[in-house]
Amino acid sequence: MHIMEGFLPVFWCVVWWLVALPCLAFGVYQLKRVLAADREALPLLGVTGGFIFILSSLKLPSVTGSCSHPTGTGLSAISFGPWITAVVSAIVLLFQALFLAHGGLSTMGANTVSMGIAGPLIGWGIYRALRDTRVSMYVTVFLACAFADLFTYVVTSLELALAYPALVGGVGSSFVVFMGIFAITQVPLAILESVVLVLVFKYIVQLRPGILIRLKVFSEGKILAAGRDA
Amino acid sequence: MLRRYRFEILAIIAILVFCALFLYTSSKMGNAEFAGSDTVGSSQIAKITGIPEEQFHPLIGQWVPPSGEIESALFALQAAVGGICVGWFFGYWKGLKEKG
Repeated sequence: MHIMEGFLPVFWCVVWWLVALPCLAFGVYQLKRVLAADREALPLLGVTGGFIFILSSLKLPSVTGSCSHPTGTGLSAISFGPWITAVVSAIVLLFQALFLAHGGLSTMGANTVSMGIAGPLIGWGIYRALRDTRVSMYVTVFLACAFADLFTYVVTSLELALAYPALVGGVGSSFVVFMGIFAITQVPLAILESVVLVLVFKYIVQLRPGILIRLKVFSEGKILAAGRDA
Repeated sequence: MLRRYRFEILAIIAILVFCALFLYTSSKMGNAEFAGSDTVGSSQIAKITGIPEEQFHPLIGQWVPPSGEIESALFALQAAVGGICVGWFFGYWKGLKEKG
C-alpha cells in the first residue's frame, strides 16, 4: 500500500498531509487522555500496536503473483478507535520511509490516510455497527480486521487514481486498474490476518478481560460469556 | 476440546490453505515474480503517464537500503520490536493473572 517516494505529485502530497495532520493531532490528544485515565491501557496498546509492527513488516505472496503486506490495524481500531491507530501507523510508516525506502516522507501523508485512518475508520465503523447486536464478538472482530486491511488498499488505489487518471476513462478506469493490483492481491491476506487477530483477541479476553470492559470495547456480558466459554 | 480450540484450529487451517494457494500460484504462473505490489503499482503509474519509472525522482531525499539483505534485516528488526512488545505485555498479563 505504500506509495513510493516521488510517485505522487506535489499537489496530492500536500492534500493528503493536510488530511492526515489533524487526525494525527487528535490521535495524540486522545492517546494522552486514554493512557492518563487507565494505566492498564498501556499493555493493551502495546499488544495491539505490536501487531501493527509485526504484520506490516511481513510481505506475503498472493494469488496475483505479487506480494503485499497485511496492516494489522484492526485490533487497535477496535480497542482505541481510528485516531490512536493513526498515530501508531504513522510511527511504522515513518520507520519504513526513513530506513526501508518503503513509502517516503512526501507520500507519508497519503500512506497514513490509507493505512492509519481510512482502513481503521471502516473497521471501527463495522465494529460499532455490530457491537451491540447479537452478532458474535469474534465475528465482529474478524469483519472489522478484514475490512480495515482491505479498505486500506482500496484507498491507496483511489489516491493513485486521483493523481493519475487514465487518458481514456479518467479516474474511474484508473481506479479499476489500481484496484486490480492492490485490492485483489490483498483479499487472501486480509482473511489470513483477520483469523490470526481473532485468535489474539481471544487470548486478550482470556488474560485481561477487565481492560476491555473498562474501555467498553464490548459489553461486560459478551466479554464475560466469551471468557467462560473458552 | 474442539470448541475450546476452535480459533487455533481455524488459524492453522487458514495458514495451510494460504500456503497451498501459494504453491499452486507459483507452479501455475511461470512468470509470477512475487514482486511487491508497491513496485507493480509504480510500474502501472509509469504506464499510465507514459513517463519511464526512472524519471520519477524523490521529492524529499531518501536513504535507500544498499541491498536486499540489509532491507530484510531492517524489516526483521521492525517485526522484532513488535514481537517484543506483544510478548512482553502478554507475559505481564499472564503474571498478573497467576498472582491472582
